[in-house]
Amino acid sequence: MKKNWLIGGLAGVLALAGVAFVQGGGAEGEAEGGGVQPIAFPHNLHAGSEEGQANMNCQFCHFSAERSVDAGIPPVSTCWGCHQVIPGRNAPEEVLKIEEHMESGEPIPWVRIYKISDHAHFPHMRHIAAGLQCQQCHGEVQTMGVLTERDPVWGGANMGWCIDCHRQPNEQGVQQASTDCAVCHY
Amino acid sequence: MATGQVTERGALTHPDLTRLDDVNRDVLKMLGRPGKGWWILFGIAAGGIGLFVSLWVYQMVRGIGVAGLTSPVGWGVYITTFVFWVGIAHSGTLISAVLFLFRAPWRQSIYRAAEAMTVFAVMTAGLFPLIHVGRVWHAYWLIPYPNSRFLWPNFKSPLVMDVFAITTYFTVSATFFFLGCIPDIAAARDRATGLRKQFYKVISLGWQGTDAQWHHFGNAYVFLAALATPLVLSVHSVVSWDFAMGIVPGWHTTIFAPYFVAGAIFSGLAMVITLIVPMRKIFGLEAYLTTKHFDAMAKLMLLTSLIVFYAYLSEFFLAWYSGEEVERTAFWNRVFGNYWWATWIMLTCNGLVPIMLWFKRVRHSIPALFVITIFVNIGMWFERYVIVVVSLSHEYEPFAWGMYRPSFVEMGILIGSFCWFSFWFLLFTRLLPPIAIQELKEVMPPPLRKRKSMEGAH
Amino acid sequence: MSRDLAERHDGILRRDFLKVVGVTGAGATIAGCSTQDVERLLPYVTAPEEITPGVATWYTTVCRGCAAECGMWVRTREGRAIKVEGNPTHPVSQGGLCGRGHATLQHLYNPDRFHGPMIREGDVFRQGTWDEAERLLAARLQRGRNPQNAVDGGSVLFIGGHTGPTMSRLIGEFVAALGGVRVDYDAVTDAPMLEAARIAYGVESVPRYDIGAARLLVSFGYDFVDSGASPVEHNKGLARMSGVNDESHAKGRFVFLGPRLSLTGLNADEWIPIRPGSEAAVALGIASAIATPDAAGPYANLLQAYSPAAAAEAAGVSEEAILALAERFRTEGPSLAMGPGAGAHHRNATAANLAVMILNHVAGNVGRTVFYEAGSSAVASRMGDLQGAIASMSAGDVGVVLVHGTNPAYSLPATAGFREAFAQVPFKVSFASAMDETAALADLILPDQHFLEAWGDSAPRPGVMAIQQPVMSPVSLFDSKHSGDVMLAVMRLAVPATPPAAATFYEYLRTAHAATDDAAWRQALRTGSVGATEASTTAPALRAPDRALSFDLPTFDGSGDLTLVVHPSSRFGGGEFSNSPWMQELPDPVSKIVWHSWAEIHPTAAAARGLVNGDIVTLSSPHGAVEVPVWLYPGIREDAIALAMGAGHTSMGRYADGHGVNALDLLPGTAEQPSGAMVTVATTVTLEPTGRRMRHATVDGSAGDQHDRPIAPAVQLSLLGAEAEAAEEEHGELMELQAGGGFIPVPAEDGSPASFPLPGARYGEYANAHEGPRWAMAIDLDKCTGCSACVTACQAENNVPWTGEDQVRMGRDMAWIRIERYYEHVDATQASDLDIRFLPMLCQHCNNAPCEPVCPVFATYHTPEGVNAQIYNRCVGTRYCANNCPYKVRVFNWYRYTDAVPEPLNWQWNPDVTVRDNGVMEKCSFCMQRIREAENRAALEDQRPVRDGEIVPACEQSCPAEAIVFGNIRDPNARVTQVVASERTYRVLDAIINTQPAVNYLRKVTFHEVAAGEH
Repeated sequence: MKKNWLIGGLAGVLALAGVAFVQGGGAEGEAEGGGVQPIAFPHNLHAGSEEGQANMNCQFCHFSAERSVDAGIPPVSTCWGCHQVIPGRNAPEEVLKIEEHMESGEPIPWVRIYKISDHAHFPHMRHIAAGLQCQQCHGEVQTMGVLTERDPVWGGANMGWCIDCHRQPNEQGVQQASTDCAVCHY
Repeated sequence: MATGQVTERGALTHPDLTRLDDVNRDVLKMLGRPGKGWWILFGIAAGGIGLFVSLWVYQMVRGIGVAGLTSPVGWGVYITTFVFWVGIAHSGTLISAVLFLFRAPWRQSIYRAAEAMTVFAVMTAGLFPLIHVGRVWHAYWLIPYPNSRFLWPNFKSPLVMDVFAITTYFTVSATFFFLGCIPDIAAARDRATGLRKQFYKVISLGWQGTDAQWHHFGNAYVFLAALATPLVLSVHSVVSWDFAMGIVPGWHTTIFAPYFVAGAIFSGLAMVITLIVPMRKIFGLEAYLTTKHFDAMAKLMLLTSLIVFYAYLSEFFLAWYSGEEVERTAFWNRVFGNYWWATWIMLTCNGLVPIMLWFKRVRHSIPALFVITIFVNIGMWFERYVIVVVSLSHEYEPFAWGMYRPSFVEMGILIGSFCWFSFWFLLFTRLLPPIAIQELKEVMPPPLRKRKSMEGAH
Repeated sequence: MSRDLAERHDGILRRDFLKVVGVTGAGATIAGCSTQDVERLLPYVTAPEEITPGVATWYTTVCRGCAAECGMWVRTREGRAIKVEGNPTHPVSQGGLCGRGHATLQHLYNPDRFHGPMIREGDVFRQGTWDEAERLLAARLQRGRNPQNAVDGGSVLFIGGHTGPTMSRLIGEFVAALGGVRVDYDAVTDAPMLEAARIAYGVESVPRYDIGAARLLVSFGYDFVDSGASPVEHNKGLARMSGVNDESHAKGRFVFLGPRLSLTGLNADEWIPIRPGSEAAVALGIASAIATPDAAGPYANLLQAYSPAAAAEAAGVSEEAILALAERFRTEGPSLAMGPGAGAHHRNATAANLAVMILNHVAGNVGRTVFYEAGSSAVASRMGDLQGAIASMSAGDVGVVLVHGTNPAYSLPATAGFREAFAQVPFKVSFASAMDETAALADLILPDQHFLEAWGDSAPRPGVMAIQQPVMSPVSLFDSKHSGDVMLAVMRLAVPATPPAAATFYEYLRTAHAATDDAAWRQALRTGSVGATEASTTAPALRAPDRALSFDLPTFDGSGDLTLVVHPSSRFGGGEFSNSPWMQELPDPVSKIVWHSWAEIHPTAAAARGLVNGDIVTLSSPHGAVEVPVWLYPGIREDAIALAMGAGHTSMGRYADGHGVNALDLLPGTAEQPSGAMVTVATTVTLEPTGRRMRHATVDGSAGDQHDRPIAPAVQLSLLGAEAEAAEEEHGELMELQAGGGFIPVPAEDGSPASFPLPGARYGEYANAHEGPRWAMAIDLDKCTGCSACVTACQAENNVPWTGEDQVRMGRDMAWIRIERYYEHVDATQASDLDIRFLPMLCQHCNNAPCEPVCPVFATYHTPEGVNAQIYNRCVGTRYCANNCPYKVRVFNWYRYTDAVPEPLNWQWNPDVTVRDNGVMEKCSFCMQRIREAENRAALEDQRPVRDGEIVPACEQSCPAEAIVFGNIRDPNARVTQVVASERTYRVLDAIINTQPAVNYLRKVTFHEVAAGEH
């Protein structure tokens, strides 16, 4: 009987630590519910390099990633720029929605997929300038169809995942990026 | 010679008390059906806990702002009460462990209650840091645990040391308390019936009272007593560093550790008396708790009271002697500033009232002792209030001086904490033998056959 | 702890506007994007090319907060104005901006703005369409202007306030086209000064003062820092004049004459507490002492009439004081005297101003420090004119009245009878963009746009022309319309015969500036001003007075024993800013009281009446009575009592209504003659205790006493250079402490930047290993005027919430920077040296920070750049850091104060700064977001280092006195390093607790000897 308590207690403590660990592991700021995208936009068809995929550069649409803290969501006019001539092989009816938005002047209410905690500041341009690929954080988005949930490899909500990278030594052997708290939290 | 010894040792309990099984009867009858009074007290305590919890929840939802805390007084009634309960927790270990090692025979009949008080007081004190912080749902960050952020607590911070000190103290004193209970629980088990019997069966850990068991029990007890003794000094020293390590004038002094330990024992003893006086009356334990016990405790209180009062005076003296304007203003403000009343309550209750303990008549009058200890309890709470609040209200930056007024939430939680404490203590008086049966028997005169030669001896 | 509770409490919302860049529907989206529901990202439909999400766009425009019309830079993010700053290239403000200027942002996002044109139906307003409203107005106007079918009879009356030249011209055409009458009215004006200039020199404009050029500045009750013609410019001038030069040790002297020390007065080196109304006599007395009567030309007789003795007699001060001051005029040139302003408009205010001008004239200041230039657009509008209008309104001669840019129903004394007369008019129109006392009485409200949404221009003074351009599309919640467009539309409808040429106001404006070609126009929009012409240095001759003026003491109504001084508030002006929570919670620079009103009375006078701080009294004048708590103030004559304007609104908005009392209720409804200005010092009051008492909502914890602590020390001018002495004075106690086994003392010479962090700095050592910059700040207390602009600037930049009157009363104000105000020497009974110390107190970023070791979770710690960082999301809220902070600059979020911020006020929040959650500590971060922004910019420009001056914290940017400098103290050429090298450098409390702050202060410099103990 005594033994059971011991085991039970131990298990309890571990469970608590476990919870704390996960809690620490950035449960913050995930876009819950993964609503349906207003337009079924297939990232793979645009950014993928497979046969019949457009193989576009991410920053063609996410235009401000290299000069701003925000990567930028393309204005409808950007989509329209190509799609007024490209009807879209697979889902022309989706493409037509773009036209509607252009005419009505209503923005497209995209569902947010990638979100970092509000109290953490992530300057995209610094990371692009450091030569990171978008995929290193966002995962192989170019292989994914309509985004309803983020690529599981995305660690943006997990601080440990961030500083893992910041801690990597550079060629001089010192850590490549600061792990000072105030670099991201202010 | 032997007789002399007997009478001397027997003198601790009431002379009429001679038959050993009376003890079992008297003590264990307390575990019988509770009377009306007990239920009323228990009801009040339970209600108080309700108040306590609802106020705390209200504070969590609305924000810590519902307390009167403000700038510059960031700590108030909560920390005051925290230190108060930690202090209460002290005498328990002192009486059970230290006096045990020093073989002071008068501890036997009171140490069980004192230890219980210790455990429950720590349980109460431990809640207050949680009530006090702004984001209690993150309080676990003070505990070092491996996490994905590679973040650890700041071991330089006295608050982190506190976490260790309090948890250690709780573990040790709880274990010590439980260990001491085992033989008596077994005794209770043998008389109890039904569900209670099952309960006692479980927690008596299969005690049979065999030689081997008594042998191990003895060793374990001595060992734990030795382990607990340093804690009596360490815990409250660490708590005092919460203040002494700050640079706040009125906090930043080297005298704090001994000063707090003495204060803790002082308040602890006061609380023991406050508790066992009614217990003695309700359960008719006059035979077990005689004026000798009270006299001994009163003497110890007198001693610690003198130490505490000396600490007060030396603080004022050093503030003046330092020639430090900030320090001087702080202490001047203590006595004559906005909070003069708190300071004077402290000085009167802890310094002046206990002077009466010099008189044997007072030490032997149970009602007088009871009243005095009430004063001391109040005084010791205000001592912490003065240290925490008054010091903070008058710091370095005159422009930022301010006042603090406790809110109804803080007062409610303060009252609630007493209910929480009494809740457990009342349960204890019903579920565990409040007086250590087996140790009491050790100090009772053995039932010797009367010999003619004895009359002759006189 | 369940996820979603953790979520809720950790959900520290940063307004990341990328999600909501669509300006249309943005509001709705924010409301929708709580942490739990699906978050929506609304991109533009067609992106404007000047906007990059996440990158701020800056626009220049003109501040319309007051008639000074400073140049503004506006920082916008994703199409929203989030911060206003001074435009360094603008000739008037030259980079600074006052607190009220910042508060104009809260007018833009004022939650009480009208959602569209409002049409009265019975007792309530109905929201209508613009078309409807304009037709209604046109119809009424037509009836109003031809007497035949004038159902309502009478003509059109237009009551205007201060506005730009082109708008003013349009109003003129509008009124003319409708055959109406136009009067302008502002409560706070310099009309007497202007009238005096007209009389003396025939110049229809307020003289321009070059304070910086003077060495002796004498203000006859002209509160040029509080209000006045151009607060920012004059504040800057004062700092340049009286701020000591560390090389030459040259320092100008400032003498203040008046019954009460305003914020301006508190900056004086000497105070001559003259009797209210005696300015003229004193000015003339001095003039007669320094010049022969004929120097005054046509006013020679005045100089004969007023001897220094007569002046002293009139002013109630010793003749020596007058003569001493006269002596300074002779020896300490160039001098500058400034006449009574809105805080001292007694019944002879014009004469007083004229006398001061005569003094300037005989002292030879005209053309050197004071300039008379014709043709300013800042035509002071007169209450006199309005009185005529009131008469005709009550006579029923007015059919339609239009009110634009002014609020006479509030800003006129009740006895002027405006409300009653206004009610007589059958059709009343207001152009107010949010409800105010006048609009509440109107029949039709045509909400104007905020100046940040609208076109316009400004000509604050001759030769200065600036364009006011919209910096964002109008706030989408409010259907407002530019009054210019409304008037043009109405003119087209009401007088179809002669429609205006311009279709829109922008067209009208552009044609008005047809002279400037498109290139020049674009240039003007970039720089924000069309440049300034140099003022003529020729001194015009004095002209003989064209009307009789009395230079004697004015008459005061009533038989009370206290003369009432009503003065404009440095926070509310005349009351236009009362609905801004920033202004309401900004501690008054003088009294440090927030939200409520107070009456200033001298401690002696109070004691004589058995009053203590906070006693609520009834002040009664022949014209009215108010109930107000008294505040004991050594800076006011014993026979005077002072009240500030701007409080006591009844229907202006949620933050203004019911706070304080309206001081104008005590004033007569008469105007000063001949200028026609409202009189503010014209009556006596009797004081009746009510027996009730309240605690002031103040941030001053020690009634201005610094208890001889090394907090705001000063050094006598003559001692500058005698370094050793000063050092001894500072470090004496240090030696004592060490003798008593204290810490390693900090040698005096270790103030030098190279030695940072100083020996004994334990937590600073972390920074030694680090090669990068080390951020530090220097604040020159000899320049700081305590104007508190930095406080509001910080609040705007860092999303610092306001907490409300009761919270502040408890001590829970959230400001990251506060201006401490300590009295060292104030004497209201005689002319004497004045010594008031202002100290901006912000986080000192100590190298030896007491807050850092006590935090159990490293939520506060030292960064490699030497900043004491506070990581909000790590904070558990033990508050030990705040207890252990000797400077008390850490503030705690007792509630989720930001929850109380209504839409759309929260649109102003800075997206680069985390909005703090309930239960966390916060404090000054040296504007970390600006540091990061500059670092990011530098890194993108091939990894260049950050330039000195590239990072400008909000407080430094806003400071009109240029007292704050921020930079890398490791860089020997950085401005901050240069400044800190001064012998006046010290660090607050460092001498006794070795905190070794990164914020360095430069001692205030006094002319008189700093008494022992007065640190």
